[in-house]
Amino acid sequence: MIQLKELDKYIESRFQRVFILKGIDLTINEGEFITLMGPSGAGKSTLLNILGLLDEEYEGEYLFGDRSIKSMKDRERSALHKSEFGYIFQAYHLIDELTVYENIETPLLYRNVSSNERKSIIANLLDRFSMVAKKDLFPAQLSGGQQQLVGIARAVAGRPRVLLADEPTGNLHSGQAKEIMEVFQELHRDGTTIIQATHSRENADYGTRLIDMLDGKIEKDEAIIHV
Amino acid sequence: MWKNYLKISLRNLRKRKLYTAINLLGLTIALVSFIAISLYIHHEWSYDRMITDSDRIYKINQEFISAGESQLVGSSPALLPVTLREDFTEVEKATLVFDLSIFSSVMVDAGQGNQEESKFAYVDEYFYDVFDFEMIAGNRETVLSEPNQIVLTESTANRLFGSDASATGKSLKVDGKDFLVTGVMRDFPSTSHMEFDFLASFKTHRDSREPQWSPSNYYNYVKMKPGADMTQFKSNMDQMVDKYLGSDMDEYGFETAFFTQPLTSIHLGDPTLNPIKPGTEIKYLYIFGVVAILLIAIGMINYVNLATAEATERNKEVGLRKVMGAGRMQLFGQFVSESMLLSFGAILLSILLLYLIAIPFENFGGVPLNLDLLFSPIGMVGLLGLALIVGLLAGFYPSMILSQMQPLKALGNKLKIGSGAWVRKSLVVFQFFVSMGLLIATFVVKNQLDFMQEVNLGYEKEQVVALNYHHNMREAIPTLRDEMVRSGAASSISRAADMPHNVKAGYKIFPGGDNTREFMITGYAADPELIKTINLELVEGENYSESDPLRSSLEDENSLMPILLNESGIAEMGWTAKVAIGKRVNMGFTNNAVVKGVIKDFYFNSLHQKVGPMVIFNDPNEANILLIKLSAGNPTANLATIGEVWTKLVPDRPFNPKFLDQEYASLYQSEQNVSLIFSLFSGIAVFIACMGLFGLVSYVALRRTREISIRKVLGASQGDVLQVLSMDFLKLLGVSAVLAIGFGVWFSDSWLGAFANRAALTIWPFVIAILAVMVLAMLTIGYRSWKVFRLNPAKTLKSE
Repeated sequence: MIQLKELDKYIESRFQRVFILKGIDLTINEGEFITLMGPSGAGKSTLLNILGLLDEEYEGEYLFGDRSIKSMKDRERSALHKSEFGYIFQAYHLIDELTVYENIETPLLYRNVSSNERKSIIANLLDRFSMVAKKDLFPAQLSGGQQQLVGIARAVAGRPRVLLADEPTGNLHSGQAKEIMEVFQELHRDGTTIIQATHSRENADYGTRLIDMLDGKIEKDEAIIHV
Repeated sequence: MWKNYLKISLRNLRKRKLYTAINLLGLTIALVSFIAISLYIHHEWSYDRMITDSDRIYKINQEFISAGESQLVGSSPALLPVTLREDFTEVEKATLVFDLSIFSSVMVDAGQGNQEESKFAYVDEYFYDVFDFEMIAGNRETVLSEPNQIVLTESTANRLFGSDASATGKSLKVDGKDFLVTGVMRDFPSTSHMEFDFLASFKTHRDSREPQWSPSNYYNYVKMKPGADMTQFKSNMDQMVDKYLGSDMDEYGFETAFFTQPLTSIHLGDPTLNPIKPGTEIKYLYIFGVVAILLIAIGMINYVNLATAEATERNKEVGLRKVMGAGRMQLFGQFVSESMLLSFGAILLSILLLYLIAIPFENFGGVPLNLDLLFSPIGMVGLLGLALIVGLLAGFYPSMILSQMQPLKALGNKLKIGSGAWVRKSLVVFQFFVSMGLLIATFVVKNQLDFMQEVNLGYEKEQVVALNYHHNMREAIPTLRDEMVRSGAASSISRAADMPHNVKAGYKIFPGGDNTREFMITGYAADPELIKTINLELVEGENYSESDPLRSSLEDENSLMPILLNESGIAEMGWTAKVAIGKRVNMGFTNNAVVKGVIKDFYFNSLHQKVGPMVIFNDPNEANILLIKLSAGNPTANLATIGEVWTKLVPDRPFNPKFLDQEYASLYQSEQNVSLIFSLFSGIAVFIACMGLFGLVSYVALRRTREISIRKVLGASQGDVLQVLSMDFLKLLGVSAVLAIGFGVWFSDSWLGAFANRAALTIWPFVIAILAVMVLAMLTIGYRSWKVFRLNPAKTLKSE
């Protein structure tokens, strides 16, 4: 589904190039649940941003399906971005001015989903994440775990094929983290491809593949066998 | 989608209460001014357009060229409309209006005794064919077709007879002559250049019996046939002039021509051509229009500046929305909907506000605000368009900036808002440039007005009262005058033909014996007391006396009529004051005038014009004004005493005194109005701009709260904090000031150019205007910095 070939990303500083990512070769198949691990500065977030089409300043090749991202026109890229990807952030990044319901609704609005359809999608999501009673609350009125649930609901509302999560449990305590990871597992079971970056080895156990990164390179790439 | 935009916009506006209030208030005030000015301009523009076929109706004016000088007058001869009706196929109708008030008022007696009336005109029977004013009673075809018929306006009928219905068929006396009321018409609309209370049939007047090509005392109007060629019409009229006036022109050495003026441009045209009702100079409409647009711009700039300044606060939201798939256009739509919401809100508020101020505005400016117009289809479309344009213009730039942010940068808070800063700075410079510029203009106008009130006119206008009298009172005048002087209330009284601030009569004069050179001179007919009454200065020779021969007794070849010339007059003659005394001059009507004295120049006209040559001579037959210098002491008591004398001697004439200084001030009514409007709008501009400044400073203060707290901990005083916050803005204001000075110099040059006598251009209007704005701006900034300074650094620093 996704193929990265010889992908470099660097910053030109005065005396030398500082590589953030160097020589990344990576193939991701549909339905995988990948965990990126590694210390801070290893390049996990940068890789996620490139995968999610948020960062276009890199060298090397990125194929989505059989098409090269670089060869796409802006509009195609933006359409791909809209239809295929969902994002989850460590700091939740909900819009403070919007209620739970409206936060989830926002991506649907940008996809021109009809009003009735929006209502039914959101009702399903609220139901699934047990947030029906909280739909009119604002983010500030929710706990961190609840906010991240809204973040996930918002990310999956547009039915993306790929879910990108950057330290989704980084701001949560372990009980909440477990809950989030179970949701991920469930989404994965339904066929969503998930790529998460995390510091936590426990979170990796929910996935199917573990990639260890260090200094912008892939150190280790192994499958996780569930017994 | 739009519902969602609306909801978010509302919440955002509510969240940023201060900015919303600043924007809303600024825009509302600007819109109120804009709409009020628009309505005023529309009102002025709509003059005479309610007349059916107003585009085919023209007034005929006349040009006289004599002694090389051209003079335009708004009137023409009585024979003209007759000739136009009979000889000109392109003319559908022609009518004559003889406005009696330019000569004198009339006494109307409708059964309750004489009342003085000034809005009285004779019109011929074709009047209603050209002007289709609505009749309430009477047949428009016949109401004025016979002698001694009169039509009253609705309110006049009510005033004289209690109701408009009962007036028809009644009779009334005008200057002792009987008239039959044959009809009642609706009052002349406020947007008509004509305004009369009485229309009497012209057939009553002796001038109608054998209309002549002279004098040109009548307002004549033609209604052309559809599609008439006006150029052809003009040349046909030129041929008519040659045919009927050719020999007169040769004999008396003048040239004349008739020219047309569209009915709809009378009100905004040359004021000297429209003596019935004061018009409005079109340049002022342009000036007000520009000011209105500038005020809106200042209001919109507040929005632009605050919204772009705020962009840093909103970049997280923008970034998120982009990550969630928002396109640029969708974000643009969202942000524009915010400014739209604001501009529609402001429009609604300003309509409410207009209803509140309509009455005071009418009393204050004398201009009716026709608010019903706002709810006419055109008004609705106009308001809607205004809201859309203001919303779009204000929202365009900030929305563009916000929607083009890169999501990663926005989310990472790496965005520097430096990019838009120069735009914001230039906009602030523009706002304060406009505010200061308007204020300078206000002071320049004010300065000139003060100058005109205080300049040494060469005569004394204080404590001088004028009383108009009718020519058939002439016999009684000497007694009246003597009685008034004897009462002790008047120190001197002169009979004159004009008020000294507005002497109109033009004469041709030839330096003695030599008929080859001639020039135009203003003639002031007044008795010998004039010099004492208004305190003119005699620089050479002496005043004439009562016993000297008068113009009427000049049949005798040997009697010489003494005259006084002013300094400009003898300069034009090429004489010095000493040489002038005793010279004989030919004044056109007599060859037997002799210079007896020379007076110092005085301003006998508006200060728009230079003092020209003037001759003063005694002619009691021309005089119809008593100029009365009140004795020292209480003027009210003196005036009352004079009134008693008047009532005792001429009981059938109302006592209607006018103070010369007030009459003089009314010469500059349009300048007074401009000054008033300028001060109002410059105040508004300064206010809106300062509100915007307050918003910007608040924003900067908020962003720099931490910095300021640290400075305070390190020992910064309140003054230091003020300096930190105000330095950047003061630089901008400095740039505005430089630009405003440039504008001010240009403005004083061009506006004062219309005055032949102008106040010296001093530095003060500039200094005061700029200082005033600077001080206000500093107060604005000072208040905000004081509030930041008061914050407890322990708290502000902890929150970081």
